[in-house]
Amino acid sequence: MRVDVRAAEKRLRESVDATAVFGPMIQTLGSAEVDLSRLRVVCDWIQYRQNFREPIDHRPLLSAWGGSNEHNGLEIAVDLRRCPDIDLTERIKDVLKTANANDQDRITLEPWVPGRESCIWRFNTLYWQALEQWEKATGREYEQALPGGESDARNREAVQELILELFKVWDDLDARQALPEELYVVELGVGNGNQAQVFLDMFAELDEARGRDYYHRLHYLMGDYSPHVLERARKAVAHHGDRISALVLDATRPAHTLGFLAGKAFLVYISNLYDNLPSDEVASIDGRMYQVEVRAYLGAADAQQISGEFGIATDQLGTLIDRLLRLGPELLSVSLPDRFPDAERAVGFWGQVWEALRLQERYVPMEGLDLYQISPSLSGEILRPVLEAAGDIRMHVNNGTLSSFADTLPLLHPYGRLQCHDLFLTDRRQYRIGYYGPGKYDGSVVNWVNGPLLQLIGNRRGFDVRFSPFKQRPTANVKTLTAQVRD
Amino acid sequence: MPKNTPRKKKVLLPTTVVGSYSVPEWLERLKTDYYQRRISGQHLEEIHEIAIKAAIKDQEQAGIDIVSDGELRRDNDIDYFLTRIPGVHLPHHAKTDYFDYYEAEVTRPLPESEPATGMGLAGDFAFTRGQTDRPIKFSFTGPFSLSRRITDHAYKDQGELVRAIARRLNAEARALVAAGAELLQIDEPFLAGYREDVELAIDAVNIVTEGVGATWALHVCYGNRYARPLWEGHYDFLFPAVQAARVDQLVLEFARRGLDDLRLFRAYEWDRSLGLGVIDVKSAEVETSELVARRIRRALEYVPAERLVINPDCGLRHLPAEVVRAKLRAMVAGTEQVRSEIAAGEPQEESRGHKTRPARQASAGRAAPNGRVAAGAGDNAKQRA
Repeated sequence: MRVDVRAAEKRLRESVDATAVFGPMIQTLGSAEVDLSRLRVVCDWIQYRQNFREPIDHRPLLSAWGGSNEHNGLEIAVDLRRCPDIDLTERIKDVLKTANANDQDRITLEPWVPGRESCIWRFNTLYWQALEQWEKATGREYEQALPGGESDARNREAVQELILELFKVWDDLDARQALPEELYVVELGVGNGNQAQVFLDMFAELDEARGRDYYHRLHYLMGDYSPHVLERARKAVAHHGDRISALVLDATRPAHTLGFLAGKAFLVYISNLYDNLPSDEVASIDGRMYQVEVRAYLGAADAQQISGEFGIATDQLGTLIDRLLRLGPELLSVSLPDRFPDAERAVGFWGQVWEALRLQERYVPMEGLDLYQISPSLSGEILRPVLEAAGDIRMHVNNGTLSSFADTLPLLHPYGRLQCHDLFLTDRRQYRIGYYGPGKYDGSVVNWVNGPLLQLIGNRRGFDVRFSPFKQRPTANVKTLTAQVRD
Repeated sequence: MPKNTPRKKKVLLPTTVVGSYSVPEWLERLKTDYYQRRISGQHLEEIHEIAIKAAIKDQEQAGIDIVSDGELRRDNDIDYFLTRIPGVHLPHHAKTDYFDYYEAEVTRPLPESEPATGMGLAGDFAFTRGQTDRPIKFSFTGPFSLSRRITDHAYKDQGELVRAIARRLNAEARALVAAGAELLQIDEPFLAGYREDVELAIDAVNIVTEGVGATWALHVCYGNRYARPLWEGHYDFLFPAVQAARVDQLVLEFARRGLDDLRLFRAYEWDRSLGLGVIDVKSAEVETSELVARRIRRALEYVPAERLVINPDCGLRHLPAEVVRAKLRAMVAGTEQVRSEIAAGEPQEESRGHKTRPARQASAGRAAPNGRVAAGAGDNAKQRA
């Protein structure tokens, strides 16, 4: 048996009574009818109060890709943070029993799929599309769910620094008669428009003080996949009139909509978007590459409770959830007025399902990295340097983010930059000492972003990709990524 | 016919490539493996040779008249040469990716009095010569661009370093010709970013070509590293300085940027050949043969057919192989279309400038010196040499 503890030392020392966890755990597993030579125990300290895991889970390592369920190993996953709250011995026994009983009590919501295809991303989409109803029902704005209570892109000091750097680039180009007439700034993922407002207000103010009149050459393009969010953002910056354009776009393929900007954008500005895009996970275990497949489910007790509260048969829950994800809460209440007399009640149903939603996981061997497509234009081969150098590792692929990043870089002017505030891992070794998602932020999904992969993607395209602490909040988890042309 | 016996054939509007060929992902991985000491240099060399044979075969099958080795041995357009120039120092030899540039420096003037140590380019050419009976274009990066990647602690001004590199390349060019090379191309991918230095660059080009009996082409583009342009603008900066270049052919990009700069060839009465870029190498979208033909017809308004060579905008290294094959086929088909029109003596729809002569007449008027594929005004440098 191998025990892998992925918690930071501080967590282990301060928050977990190691003796109370590891002693009984090893004793229970040692006496169980399980092949210890093929057993891995992975202990995380999951910082998200809301997440997709039970305190103890099991994950088979399948022996072959394809339809076979034969496995050549088992992983027991332990959330150290929640261990003190449970009867560890009993839960481990239950999990081992469940592993053999094929999880009959659960309500599964989907077949086994790679993480990026899970229905949790449909929930995520619904959250952004029906944000207004969600906020109304929960009584708080989404930004309050962010660490620090607001988007870092609203930090005035950081915005001012960014604009002044932009002005310097433009001044230099202008001095060489190389500054284009149109000056493009793009924001991907616009939230409530506050960050655009802070940027544009300050831009106008600083520009007026300097007298270069860049403001009237500026085109600020806001892109988001939610028309509702976009409209709200547009209202927030309406006083900037024609300087603004709002475009509905797929953040994972920005060039699909913004192709006309190739080589023209001086700044692509992104905040708290990358951690919210669909992601697979892959793992290297004992020298073999695996893809993590997931299956969303509701635990039996949770399913019973929700069924009871909303008067729905347990076996109808899956169909109703699918309907919610297709229609949204408002239309769901219109279509089923007896069960959901108003949208608020439908949001209540949504909220309870979301809270109870869990992910089963299993490891499926990968046939070859070159055959794994991260996105239509990105081969899995790019994962190799990170996976091969790291020994045993499980990491995010951040498919949506990598696709978005790779698709955004060609938009940049040779003197342009992509700047992004988000939750970045900056070293692959961090995967050995922490848990980085998926977790739940309010009604959305959060995964930290695999920074070394972004660096590889950028480097292979001739960009320097650097990470720095967010200067105005240096102790925060949020980091600043900057990508600029090199060579 | 033995492979090393070039075909004797006269062709109007000869088709060729600029130099590099599609580098498959697996080859990139193996090259990086070499830099990370996972495979030996010997194994990589064997892999390169197989890849080069395949690249030549692809070009032949696409119908390209003048082929290249695809520059598949090269890690990038700079380091392959800098690592072979005595006196250029590389503080670090490891690379995380084969395509990365080294940091290079010169701390003392490049040695010039000692017997020239070959850079090995003649050997590269000889291998290619053994694989095909078609005419070969052999290209190498020019002294100006090479100098831009060197930190200079040795010379008083950059011009001295550029000229010293040029002298080294001149020796190499002589070795190439001795090995049988007849069409050599100097690539200056960085020149468009340093327009104020164009006279220095041309001066260095003339040092490289001095006394070398070959047909010389000069390729100037707007950058193609990672399939991105490094600069934008127009080719105005080349003129009139480039008129002083002792080269026979200018190879420029037009497909991506449009054909407006063709006006320069009339305005400055360029009397040598033009390598016309008709294939956009930064886009995976495959051009139609009709589009290629339209571009050629448009160019014929400014440059007569006997002085026009048809090629992609730049190297093909960043495009997938299947896209490259399709693009080359389209280029050949489009060219053939125009050749047929010329042979039939059809008035060209777009032609308002130079009237194009029928093929027979054109070939007779300005055939390549040795009767091979007309690579475009190929004898200027030879006559000067």
